[in-house]
Amino acid sequence: MANNVKISLRQFTVLIMFYTIGTTILVIPAPLAADAGQHAWIAAIVGWLLGLLVVVLYVSLGKLFPQMTFIAYIEHTFGKWLGKPISLFFIFFSFVTSSIVLYYIGNFMTTQIMPETPIGAFVILFAGIVLMGLRLGLEVLARTAEILFPWFLLLFTTLTLFLIPEIEIQKIRPIIEIGFKPVIRAALVFAGTASLPMVVFLMIYPMSLNEKKGAGKAFYTGTLIGGIFIIIITFLSVSILGAELSAKNMYPSYALSKKINVGNFIQRVEILMAGLWFLTIFFKATFYAYGFISGIAQVFGCKDYRPFVIPCGMIMIAFSLVVYPDVVYMSDFESTVYIPFVISAGLLLPLFVLITGLIRKRMMNNQGVESDDE
Amino acid sequence: MIVGIVATASFFTMIEAPPLFKAKKKKELWLFSILLLIGTGLCISVSLDIVIPNPLDLVYVVFKPMSRLLDNLLK
Repeated sequence: MANNVKISLRQFTVLIMFYTIGTTILVIPAPLAADAGQHAWIAAIVGWLLGLLVVVLYVSLGKLFPQMTFIAYIEHTFGKWLGKPISLFFIFFSFVTSSIVLYYIGNFMTTQIMPETPIGAFVILFAGIVLMGLRLGLEVLARTAEILFPWFLLLFTTLTLFLIPEIEIQKIRPIIEIGFKPVIRAALVFAGTASLPMVVFLMIYPMSLNEKKGAGKAFYTGTLIGGIFIIIITFLSVSILGAELSAKNMYPSYALSKKINVGNFIQRVEILMAGLWFLTIFFKATFYAYGFISGIAQVFGCKDYRPFVIPCGMIMIAFSLVVYPDVVYMSDFESTVYIPFVISAGLLLPLFVLITGLIRKRMMNNQGVESDDE
Repeated sequence: MIVGIVATASFFTMIEAPPLFKAKKKKELWLFSILLLIGTGLCISVSLDIVIPNPLDLVYVVFKPMSRLLDNLLK
């Protein structure tokens, strides 16, 4: 379907980076600090390395099926009848997560910035931009990412520099008494928010890139850079707010940027942080929605996903107002069921496809071409 | 509220449907109408405070055992 779409490698790197950072940057210090205490930043590093392993899996899947989307190679490896339900699981995953991300935006705005506006207003406005981006196509999104990247960098650097004087190093001590299990658990949360959802990029990788060579490298670089930003934020959050306060805050990095105070003059710049978040979450929401919409289009054998953007968007908006009835449900979902859910969609499913694909390829090579009947 | 939703839906039908109709893409047209119908229905029921099933409850049912297993492993 997106055969004529071409994204350059640099654009792809920036997209991956934004995708890694989106939602993660604002929420992740809280669960990390809750699980790993003052070692949250170590857990972030471990999670970052785990994320790289996940990318290894995605890149090798991309090598196995260079000209197909994820849905297409699920159907190729499992056949039509077994393939459809498996693809539906993937679509369900991207649908649920895209609704969740829309809810995040609404919840963040209503709890932190504009408490008197109903949540629906934010959700509809934000979904409007996301759907507009999708309607215009991947190339436009990729170019947007490229243009927004320097702004993101500028905002982030400003934020970090202003926060450095506030660091209290005793808050991350003692470093030595580190538990293995809490760190692994926190690292799983990290990978679940930052790396595993990248499974939706299999819908465009490596088919929609203009150069196949170096595509894997772009994937790794994006994950690496994105991870570094998250590690910095986690470190700042734990060393400035302390582990306990980070864990109790719903949006610790937002609370963090309220701490900025340069000479009693530059204060209350937390909306900068929110700006960072809007930039990155836009890409996260867009690509989840892309996975959902183009997935549906492909399962039903339609060439172009664009006509379905608006109707699917309406479904997403409706469900984003329903998915989390309240914040208690949200934090319970996030800390318990979300991790196995994202592991099965982002790790087990691609792994399963990869193994089956490799076996089929070997069988075909051994038996010659005549056994190629599906 | 309902009027707004229906107006939005019909507005986008006016934009999206004619090219599909002209190209005689029957399958696309069917999928489009079904999705739009579902979307409009869901939006209206949300605006009327009618309870619609939450997909996350399904996720809860399916993945709760796995999550318990993970908890026991990492505690």
